[in-house]
Amino acid sequence: MGTLGGFALSDTSKLSRFESVVLVHLDAAYNLARWLTHDAAGADDAVQDACLRAFRFFDGLQGPSPKAWFMAVVRNACLDWLKDQRVRGAEESYDDELHASATNTTESTVARDSDAHWVRSGIAALPREYREVLVLRELEELSYKEISAIVDVPIGTVMSRLSRGRDLLQQRLLQSRERKRS
Amino acid sequence: MNCTRLQQVLDAHIDDELDRNTTGDITTHLSECTACAALRDQRIALRQDLRAHAPYFNAPATLVPTIRRSLGRALIQSEAKAKPRATGLSWFHAAAFATVAALAGLIGGYWLAQPLPDYPLRDPAVASHVAALAPARQLIQIASSDRHTVKPWFQGKTDFVPPVKDLSGEGFALLGARLDQVADRQAAAVVYQIRKHVINLFVWRASDQAPDAIASASVRGFSVTTWAADGLRFAAASDVDTRDLTRFAQLVAAP
Repeated sequence: MGTLGGFALSDTSKLSRFESVVLVHLDAAYNLARWLTHDAAGADDAVQDACLRAFRFFDGLQGPSPKAWFMAVVRNACLDWLKDQRVRGAEESYDDELHASATNTTESTVARDSDAHWVRSGIAALPREYREVLVLRELEELSYKEISAIVDVPIGTVMSRLSRGRDLLQQRLLQSRERKRS
Repeated sequence: MNCTRLQQVLDAHIDDELDRNTTGDITTHLSECTACAALRDQRIALRQDLRAHAPYFNAPATLVPTIRRSLGRALIQSEAKAKPRATGLSWFHAAAFATVAALAGLIGGYWLAQPLPDYPLRDPAVASHVAALAPARQLIQIASSDRHTVKPWFQGKTDFVPPVKDLSGEGFALLGARLDQVADRQAAAVVYQIRKHVINLFVWRASDQAPDAIASASVRGFSVTTWAADGLRFAAASDVDTRDLTRFAQLVAAP
C-alpha cells in the first residue's frame, strides 16, 4: 500500500476489515458489558473504549477466534470502568432493566413475568467471576476454550466457576419459587 | 464412574466439552442412577430457564455511529502525530499538514458513509428464517436430498446459481430448497438439517465482488453466519450453536 501525503491508503481497508472482523461482535460485546457493569451508560463507555483499544492493536490480532480476542478487550475495559467507579466512590450502579422491580408493575405482570424477573435478578446478583462465565456460556454459547481465553484463567477454572455459578443460581431460583408458593 | 466423579464433570458434560469415552461413561451412569439423572434434569431445566428468560442486551443503534466517529478521529490523530515535527512551522508545513488533515477527513468521511458490510442483514436473515418455519409457510418447494436435483431447480428462477453441497457425511442433511427473500432482495434458500435443527442458507447476488470472511453472531437466540464469495452473499440462520453454524459455513464455503 502506498502513502499519499503521509496518509496510508491502507487505513481505509483496515477500517473495513475491523468492521467485518471485530465490529460484527458488537452485540455480544455490549451484552457482556451490560452484565458486567450493570449500567447502560457504563456499557456504552466501556464498549467504545474497547473498540479504540482493539483498533489500535488490530494489526497484531492473532489466533483462531477474533470474537474471543475482542471480548477479552471488552472485559478488560469493563473492569477498568468498574475500578474507576470504585475510585470515584460512586454508588453501586443500578441497572433498572437488570433489576426490573416488581413495585412499578401490576399484579398480573408480576405473576406472568416472575420467572423472568428471578432469572435476571438471580444472574445479576452473582459474584462477577461466576456471572461472566455464565453469560459467556449461556448467552453467547462460547466454548470453555474461548471463555478461558477471554477471562484469562485455565479451562479447569472455567469449568469449576460455571459449576459453582449454576449451583448458586439454582439455589436462588429454588428459594424464590418456594417463597412465592408460601 | 461413581456419583462423586460424575457430579464433578456433570456441567462439562451438559456443555458438551468432554471426550467420547468420558461421555460414554457418563451416559451409562446416568441411565442407571436416578439421583444423578435428577441432577442432570435440574441443570437442563436451569439452562432452559436461562435461555428463555435472561435478557440479551443488543448494542443500541446509536453506538455504531459513535464508534465509527471515534475510530475516524483516532486515525486522523495518529496520522497527525506521525508527521515529523519541523522546528518552526513554515507555510509549507502548514499547507502540507492541512492537506493531510483534509485527505484524512475525506477518506474518513468516505468510510463513515459506507454501509456496514453485511451485519444489518443479520436481522432480516433471522426474520426470513423464522418466517419460513411458521406453520402456514412452505419451508421447502423442492424436497430432495440429492444436490443434483436441488441445484438445477433454481434454473430460470434466479439469475445466479447457489452452491448446493452434500454435507450428510458431516451431519448436515440436505432437505431441499425454496425461493425466498432477505430484506428486499430475492434469495435462494437451501435448507439443511442437523439433529433436529433446521438451517436456512440464504444466497443472493452481492452488490460487489469483494469477498468477506465468515462471521457468526447470535441474534435473539438464533445463530447467524454471514460471508461473501464469488459475487454472492451468504447468510445461514438456525437455532443451533454458533459453533455448529460456523462449521457449516466453513463446509459450504470450502472450494
